[in-house]
Amino acid sequence: MSARAYDAIVVGAGHNGLVTAAYLAGGGLRTLVLERRARPGGALATTALGSARVPALAHTVGRLRRSVIEDLGLGRHGLSLIRPAARVFAPSPEGPGLTLWDDPARTAEELRSRSAADAEAYPAFDRRVRAIASFLAYVGVTTPPDLRAPSLSDAVAGLGLGRAFRGLGRGPRREALRILPMAVADLLEEAFSSDLLRGAIAARAVQHAALGPRSAGTAATLLMDSAGNDGGAAGQTVYARGGPGALAKALAAAVRAAGAEIRTGAEVAAIASRDGAVTGVTLGSGEELRAPVVASTADPKRTLLGLLDPVEVGPTLAWRAGNIRMPGVSAKVNLVLDGLPSFAGAVESEGARERLKGRIVLAPSVDYLERAFDASKYGAISERPFLEATIPTLVDPSLAPEGTHVMSVLFQWAPYHRREGDWDADRDRLGDLALAALEGVAPGLSARVVEREVLTPLDLERDYGLTEGHALHGEPALDQFFAWRPLLGLARYRGPVAGLYLCGSGAHPGGGVTGGPGANAAREILSDWSKRRRRS
Amino acid sequence: MSGPGSNDEGVPLARRYDAVVIGGGHNGLVAAAYLAKAGRSVVVLERRHVLGGAAVTEEVVPGFRFSVFSYVVSLLRPEVIRELELARHGLRILPLDGTITPLDDDALWRVDDHAETIRELRRWSRADAEAYEEYGQLMADLARFVKPVLSMVPPDPGRVDPREWLGALRMARAFRDLPERHQAALVGLMTMSATDFLRQWFETEPLVATMSASGIIGTFQGVQSPGTAYVLLHHYMGEIDGAFRAWGVPKGGTGGISEAIGRAARALGAEIRTEAPVARIEVREGRATGVTLASGEEIRADVVLSSLDANQTFLRLVDRSHLDEGFVRAVERFKYRGSSGKVNLALDDLPELACKPGRGEWLRGAISFSPSVDYMERAYDDAKYGHFSRRPYVDCIIPTLVDPSMAPPGKHVMSCFVQYAPYRLADGAAWDDGARAAFGETVLDTLEERFPRIRDLIVGMQVLSPVDIEEATGLTEGNIFQGELSLEQLFFNRPVPGWARYRTPIEGLWMCGSAVHPGGGIMGAPGRIGALEALRATRGAGR
Repeated sequence: MSARAYDAIVVGAGHNGLVTAAYLAGGGLRTLVLERRARPGGALATTALGSARVPALAHTVGRLRRSVIEDLGLGRHGLSLIRPAARVFAPSPEGPGLTLWDDPARTAEELRSRSAADAEAYPAFDRRVRAIASFLAYVGVTTPPDLRAPSLSDAVAGLGLGRAFRGLGRGPRREALRILPMAVADLLEEAFSSDLLRGAIAARAVQHAALGPRSAGTAATLLMDSAGNDGGAAGQTVYARGGPGALAKALAAAVRAAGAEIRTGAEVAAIASRDGAVTGVTLGSGEELRAPVVASTADPKRTLLGLLDPVEVGPTLAWRAGNIRMPGVSAKVNLVLDGLPSFAGAVESEGARERLKGRIVLAPSVDYLERAFDASKYGAISERPFLEATIPTLVDPSLAPEGTHVMSVLFQWAPYHRREGDWDADRDRLGDLALAALEGVAPGLSARVVEREVLTPLDLERDYGLTEGHALHGEPALDQFFAWRPLLGLARYRGPVAGLYLCGSGAHPGGGVTGGPGANAAREILSDWSKRRRRS
Repeated sequence: MSGPGSNDEGVPLARRYDAVVIGGGHNGLVAAAYLAKAGRSVVVLERRHVLGGAAVTEEVVPGFRFSVFSYVVSLLRPEVIRELELARHGLRILPLDGTITPLDDDALWRVDDHAETIRELRRWSRADAEAYEEYGQLMADLARFVKPVLSMVPPDPGRVDPREWLGALRMARAFRDLPERHQAALVGLMTMSATDFLRQWFETEPLVATMSASGIIGTFQGVQSPGTAYVLLHHYMGEIDGAFRAWGVPKGGTGGISEAIGRAARALGAEIRTEAPVARIEVREGRATGVTLASGEEIRADVVLSSLDANQTFLRLVDRSHLDEGFVRAVERFKYRGSSGKVNLALDDLPELACKPGRGEWLRGAISFSPSVDYMERAYDDAKYGHFSRRPYVDCIIPTLVDPSMAPPGKHVMSCFVQYAPYRLADGAAWDDGARAAFGETVLDTLEERFPRIRDLIVGMQVLSPVDIEEATGLTEGNIFQGELSLEQLFFNRPVPGWARYRTPIEGLWMCGSAVHPGGGIMGAPGRIGALEALRATRGAGR
């Protein structure tokens, strides 16, 4: 009998799949990554649009965990990061835009002309966000405890968390517990008076979520977004040179360098199991591959309801998995422009280009965001959407021919579940709505469009395997967080059958380009592996 | 207890008590009763001429008596009823049977009889009928689990005093022993929206909408807002633990409860004064020494208990110089956001529903205007942007069907709880007569869609906006729960992080109203725990 070909099979070569694989291979496991698409990277991709290259879905990578970059030597594998001084440019239909800079003092200076009180409050708010986010960063790297039968190691981890929590100090400790379940709108109304500032910060708390800024728990999403990076109040704005696909490439190179194999064009149709333990996977082609460990980065609904044997899952877990909330609400519009658009408050002046290097956040007030969200409650597309746009060519001209620019636009809310109409018929309408909204703050922009590409939530499901088009593999809400992400009892990366692990954004600490779930899961897989080895 | 007197020069001496309770609402009265029961001399000071605060019965239209602000009761703590012997003091609760949700040409009618309800649900969805049973059992189990929280003094996460955390630890251990399905449901209850939570089981739109509605009563949230699922438990809490095992109306209106508690307090030796508004809490060297009434009269006491909300207590009655700035800021940012109004109707005759004509049993329970989740959400959307709902959620009861004494023979009163009516209107508009009239008309239009003849039956009508509620009861922004019951304002955060244990930064000043854990509703729990904590702290302090 020949030896098993692989110790571990990773399902999906998105960023979390690649991170998992790199760590597993680094830990000595013979690892195979299977990817349905033609290229590794999943939604982290740079794709061609006309003569330019555009970010497929995500357009910034600043939340990537620092330890992942270091552990996997991503710099060595070609990753080059660009950090502009401008973090956010918030245009306003009614006047000049506002820029949030990497330096809070500079932002405060900029705010002074709008509101002296806000200018005063901003640096303190930024510090508060950083303090609580640093505790959340600790939460993010922790494997959630087993609430059913806490083990010694849980107790130790719990002590660590407790220590980190105590380290906050008494006041901030109470403050953290008050803030986390809050609506971000309330948090911002307590701190600031400027609508533009409130909108720009609140937007980050509801990105990719079926939540409005007045929904409880959105303060927690804002803080989680700042955890483990230097985002602070303004949030991160970091580009990968060559677009997000360059990060995918660096990750893939790290995986291969660690000795793992990546097979593309290989769709996993089923995870095979016997007697409560995984035995490998079956490909769409019918090919069977065996391994005692299967690490799935597909979203939890897909993994539990689509890939696993329903008998292993059982009716109760199937019911619970079916109830995981993941109503996708974001779409993507990519544009190629024949010149740089002019935004009010960022025109012609020396600083205009500098400002537009930040994320351009069209969310001029909390009410604007809330109204844009309201539409999605009734299954309708926002007529006046919240947009987050970047112009990566400002920092990385290699992406488009000289003189032209790429604009990458995240569109919200565009609900996957529509009451009326269907997405294939409404693709153009969505593009038009995005341009109309941009035109409101950057007159003349639409006339500059030479190429346009629209990815609807349905496209995200079909092309990238995101169930219901949900970019984060599940709502980032309080009920799907930490020890209950994706489900209570499955938050420790171990699936319902032995040898199965959940390593994607559906697991703690959740979605976004962090590599967090993959890195945490790999740690647990390796720990189980060494225990198993010791036993046998 | 020392009566009034005068010193040798004839200057009246301030009266002196062991304890003075500010506010004669149900919680203030409960607190006073417990203090008196422990042998303390205590006086309750009520601003109005009637006792009860927001739980009062008044004759608004001649011959017609209304529970003016509140309307139903379920959660009055059984230990309060037992320990204060409220039944002996005249408390009678009449059960309200069921809830009907009228629709265009049908109605969803759930009654207290479980089998009957299952039969009705089967008409809508077999799956829902099946799930209803399972759901009910699960919720009853969870209510039993959560119940101890209602009588717990919240621990302070800012400190690590193991004694404070004992209760929480005991619960954590009990949580571990729950079946996984229960654990998951409990987590969902604490974090989800009422609608998301319910949709895990049910698909029938009016069922989901009507059950969700209990999650938003008195809060500025929508049925799809995270954090609203928790209140769903209250319904079952009433069933397993409420003294009445169902929702009910007190005989004589909600004022009947306050009167019974008042009688109990008096019987135990408490003194109760009405039309005695407190103007100031006296503080000397960081310690509360008594109060001064608007009349100028001074009342001295070793401890002062305030059953008013945090805003009234700290920002109006206490001189700011006695409080540190951080605390004042925390009080100022506590959210009230009154979101509901009340319309009380005096009716010549019983109204009939278009979708279910006749004068049947279905009118004896709650009549809920909550046909769909969308309807509820749109009502909320209006309020978010500063308007009262064009089509509000209305929860009506006709108390005269169970307690005919509330109106002249053959006549009826109808009590309509209306949401949303935001305290702050858009563009700084005032809740003036015009706004109030428009709001009343909107409610009548809404009622008329289901009760086509209702306008012809009206002989008297009272419309209360949140501003009216604030003016009449003193409840800040008209919030009937003395502050939003949102997640960040519950348990150890209520009303101020670090000051959730009924104490205040002023020694000898205690909180005992809905502003403190476990919050609003006619529960009596804050009054009881507040009084017991104050007693515990002063025990042996040389009386």
